[in-house]
Amino acid sequence: MPFLAVTPSAPTISEGVIWAIIICPLAGFALCTLAVLLRSQLQRFAGYLAVATVGAAFVLAMVVLFNVIDAHGGIAVHSHTWYSAGPLKVPLGVRVDGLAAIMLSIVTSVSLLVQVYSLGYMHGDRGYGRYFAYMCLFTTSMLGLVLADNIFMIFIFWELVGLCSYLLIGFWFHRPSAAAAAKKAFVITRLGDLGFMAAIFLIWTRTGELGVAQIQAAATNGAISGTLLTLFALGIFAGAVGKSAQFPLHVWLPDAMEGPTPISALIHAATMVAAGVYLVARFYPVFEASTDAMQVVMWIGAATALIAATIALVQTDIKRVLAYSTISQLGYMVLALGGFGYVAAIFHLFTHAFFKALLFLGSGSVNHSTNTFDMRKMGGLWKRMPITFWTFVIASLSISGIFPLAGFWSKDEVLHAAWDSNHAVWVIGIVVAFMTALYMFRAVFLTFFGEYKGGQAVDHDDPDSHFEGDPAHPHEAPWTMALPLIILAIPAVLAGFANINNTFGDFIIHALPRKFEEDQGVQMMTAVISVVLALLGIAVAYVVYYKKWITSESLHSAFLPFAIVLERKYFLDDLYESLFSKRIFQGGWNRLCDLTDRYVVDGLVNGVGLVTDQLSTRIRVAATGQLQTYGAMFALGVIVVVAIIFAVNPV
Amino acid sequence: MSGWDTVGPQLAVLVAAGLVLLVDAMLPRQRQALPYIALAGLAASAAWTASWVGRDDFHTAFGGTLSLDQYAVFFYFVFAGITAAVVLASIDWVNRAGRSQGEYYALVLVACSGLMFLSAARDLITIFLALELSSIPQYILAGWGKDQKSSEAGLKYLLLGSIASALLLYGMALLYGLTGTTILPDIAQVIQQGGDTNRGLLVVAMVLLIAGFGFKMAIVPFQMWVPDVYQGAPTPVTAFLSVGSKAAGFAVIMRIFFEALGASFLSDDWFKIFAVLAAVSMTLGNVMAIVQSDIKRMLGYSSIAQAGNFLVGVAAIAVPGHEFTLGASAVLLFVAAYAFTNLGAFIAIIAISQKIGSDEIKDYRGMWRRSPFLALALAFCLVSLTGIPPTVGFWAKMYIFNAAIRADLAWLVILGVLNAAISAYYYLGVVRQMFLSEPEDEEPIRTTPPIGISIAVATAGIFVFGVIPMPLITAAKDAVQIFAH
Repeated sequence: MPFLAVTPSAPTISEGVIWAIIICPLAGFALCTLAVLLRSQLQRFAGYLAVATVGAAFVLAMVVLFNVIDAHGGIAVHSHTWYSAGPLKVPLGVRVDGLAAIMLSIVTSVSLLVQVYSLGYMHGDRGYGRYFAYMCLFTTSMLGLVLADNIFMIFIFWELVGLCSYLLIGFWFHRPSAAAAAKKAFVITRLGDLGFMAAIFLIWTRTGELGVAQIQAAATNGAISGTLLTLFALGIFAGAVGKSAQFPLHVWLPDAMEGPTPISALIHAATMVAAGVYLVARFYPVFEASTDAMQVVMWIGAATALIAATIALVQTDIKRVLAYSTISQLGYMVLALGGFGYVAAIFHLFTHAFFKALLFLGSGSVNHSTNTFDMRKMGGLWKRMPITFWTFVIASLSISGIFPLAGFWSKDEVLHAAWDSNHAVWVIGIVVAFMTALYMFRAVFLTFFGEYKGGQAVDHDDPDSHFEGDPAHPHEAPWTMALPLIILAIPAVLAGFANINNTFGDFIIHALPRKFEEDQGVQMMTAVISVVLALLGIAVAYVVYYKKWITSESLHSAFLPFAIVLERKYFLDDLYESLFSKRIFQGGWNRLCDLTDRYVVDGLVNGVGLVTDQLSTRIRVAATGQLQTYGAMFALGVIVVVAIIFAVNPV
Repeated sequence: MSGWDTVGPQLAVLVAAGLVLLVDAMLPRQRQALPYIALAGLAASAAWTASWVGRDDFHTAFGGTLSLDQYAVFFYFVFAGITAAVVLASIDWVNRAGRSQGEYYALVLVACSGLMFLSAARDLITIFLALELSSIPQYILAGWGKDQKSSEAGLKYLLLGSIASALLLYGMALLYGLTGTTILPDIAQVIQQGGDTNRGLLVVAMVLLIAGFGFKMAIVPFQMWVPDVYQGAPTPVTAFLSVGSKAAGFAVIMRIFFEALGASFLSDDWFKIFAVLAAVSMTLGNVMAIVQSDIKRMLGYSSIAQAGNFLVGVAAIAVPGHEFTLGASAVLLFVAAYAFTNLGAFIAIIAISQKIGSDEIKDYRGMWRRSPFLALALAFCLVSLTGIPPTVGFWAKMYIFNAAIRADLAWLVILGVLNAAISAYYYLGVVRQMFLSEPEDEEPIRTTPPIGISIAVATAGIFVFGVIPMPLITAAKDAVQIFAH
């Protein structure tokens, strides 16, 4: 297989165009914010403004993509000094290469479709303007994260997307569950970010470099020692574990489904959660240079894929099924990264973005007509919502890895990478493939087949319920919602063909200085086994949830201990809640802070207040003496300073 | 070359002052034009200054008493900008006061020209004259208000200012007696030749100079006047004092200490003095600010604390054997950042107090509902004063701490960071009142165009330089090249 068919050249795209990609949605954010702050009537147009600015970013991203394709995946870096003080130089710059171009197209296209979809979905919400302001800020941050040419800027945008995620999960902040979920997501991802921050400090103090290219080069030319490399890689990976919801920090993502569904599609499925994978890919040479780090990455990915897939089997909320499915698929990507499958991971990220966004938007569409996410209250929707149904099935087939849909190609590359590095991980991957098909088609059968169970009655007392229509008579979504479903279905089917003849791989491979050649493409044995298992999974779902030859209740009681473990999500949430949250934080740290605040800080402030009070009372008594006092203090000050100098440094 | 062209910026301002007086006297109906004449003069001054930007030739004029270098150019811009903002912010207040409008603007302009002279002076006598040229109008302005508080403030400022001037003169006389010259570089030469035989007297002279300018800079222990005068003086004047006067104090003290007292055996002493005064000023200012209930008094104490931050930079320059210009450029960056930030805050306060007639922090409750623009702008300025990104205040603080770290003053930086945390308590306390409390009075507060514009410019400056700090940093770096060894 020819590795370098064509030598890449530097893309000729001008710097202004690249910056404009970030600035467009930023302008959208500024205008939406202004409209909201000034309580202007223009808020009603926030949605169109967001669509327009993100649309502009999408067009520019396409320009960049084609330019980089013309350059055969070459690299263009435009770097400036943002801030310099002595030896500290903070760069500010953009970097365009194959990896960035792919991420740009994913982010802008999915974001655009989700914003169009939101026009319908968020219609009539009290926070309409605020919603689109956050969305624009998120898109800006995500694009900045992708285009940044140095780790410092990556960190800033990384934190900004975290902030947006917090704001959007807690979008309906007066619902206690949403507020709690937002807080949980923010705090847990912060844990990972500590590692990320440590990695930045580490690399800066040891090499003085912050640029992506410089760090990559330092890793490949051996300028950094082995231990340092491993520590740096693990720090970066800690950030990725938080953001990409990998075990053991994955617990925030299912709760994040409290946000509006389009948010779940864009942020918590297609783009932001993939940022962790992107981050590892950006600094991939560092990982490749450290076998230990790679092992950690691979096993964390494998564990995540398996754990999340098993939990997804027992969820009754359709969004939670999709959330665990997302965690599991992210586990696939991380597993591939750990198995030297850089192209496989990014390729899976690419295809996953489309079919997972489609699945979420489909679930939103179902919610839009039934007013619920509980699959036990659905059923039989396939006739009433044909567009939603067919697109959902396509996406489910794709994620299950059925030939020749997009998921088949990328998943098999992931499994191929796993096979090449560790057979045990490959076995886990195959098992997860079976489970994926099973839980996805469980969701399909429960939602769209059987009897319709009436949805959720509308609560007219809830000020945030802007539900229109009657859950008893579900209907197809309006065109603003249906159109994105149809458009997303196209890449969910076709995106897999992008890497035939390694086109996709060759395009992104030049983004890194690589030591290893990746054996890309589909491996026949893996392909056959995984497709057979996926079909088996669909068959099992058909038997249990459609035909009900074996009822799920009987399965539940037969495997009762397992079912309980899965329904309780391996008790991880309980562990975190009772041990970390209750014992260590509330019992220990918070109490310490409380005592410090009450006795030390308050004491100090009260003491100062008391002294000032006393002092001012005295001064008030001797009001005429005030000026003289000041003058005397002045002279005294001079004498004291002179005395101190001579005391320290005698003549 | 007679040297008249080197004082062009000052002359432009003085001519404007004369014009203001003339128009006020001859064309009483055209009084509303007065502030705009003042602004035109400041613009002309800035334009004149702009023609010197980037030129690295070094002039002295009038027998070596004034210098024209990038350092002076930097401060010319700062003072012109500060004065323009103060003039804009004064318009409503002066119109309402109704009397002696011409004198008010003329005094502000004269004070401005004094500050400009101060930043260019390199001779002790010129420095003293410039100081008085800027101080006397400020004494009058502080007592401009009709109420007793303002008169009291003016009188206190005058009397304490005179003590400071006396101490300063005494220090200058000592210095002249020891060296036989008043030109700063010549003083340095004589001290260098004489060695450390006169160290004792030189140190006393140095401390007297610090006391004299410390009054202007509002550093502990020469700060007692600050809260009383800040609270009593008309708010636009307070804004001018808090920014212009302070900046000039730092401008001149850095020049004196570099050009005249830079000898190595002395700099060892002065870096210690400045480091200790920095620590004391920061801490005392912040601790006292916490308990204030009047926002002008609070900003008075906070300006003492901020002066402590400036001094960290001055101390960092003085450490022997280190990169001298890093600390100096840090101080200049801080001057510019502080000018934007404190002016923005004061002008927002002017706009608010004009409406609600109170400076009590508790009356700022729910300001967000009454004027989103003013509340946001003031909050942004307070965030910048705290030193939180994305504001220019963040970079300034970071730069100054960075310089101190390079100068092995880690203890001072730790203290500075702790103080920043304390200051967050009272700065953000105001923000909390404005945004999280319910207003007692829902009546909206309208902003007049001049005030709106000046606040918008100040906050835009805080934000733009908070995102893109390099232009300001480069300007500060270029300005202190004269100190490079």
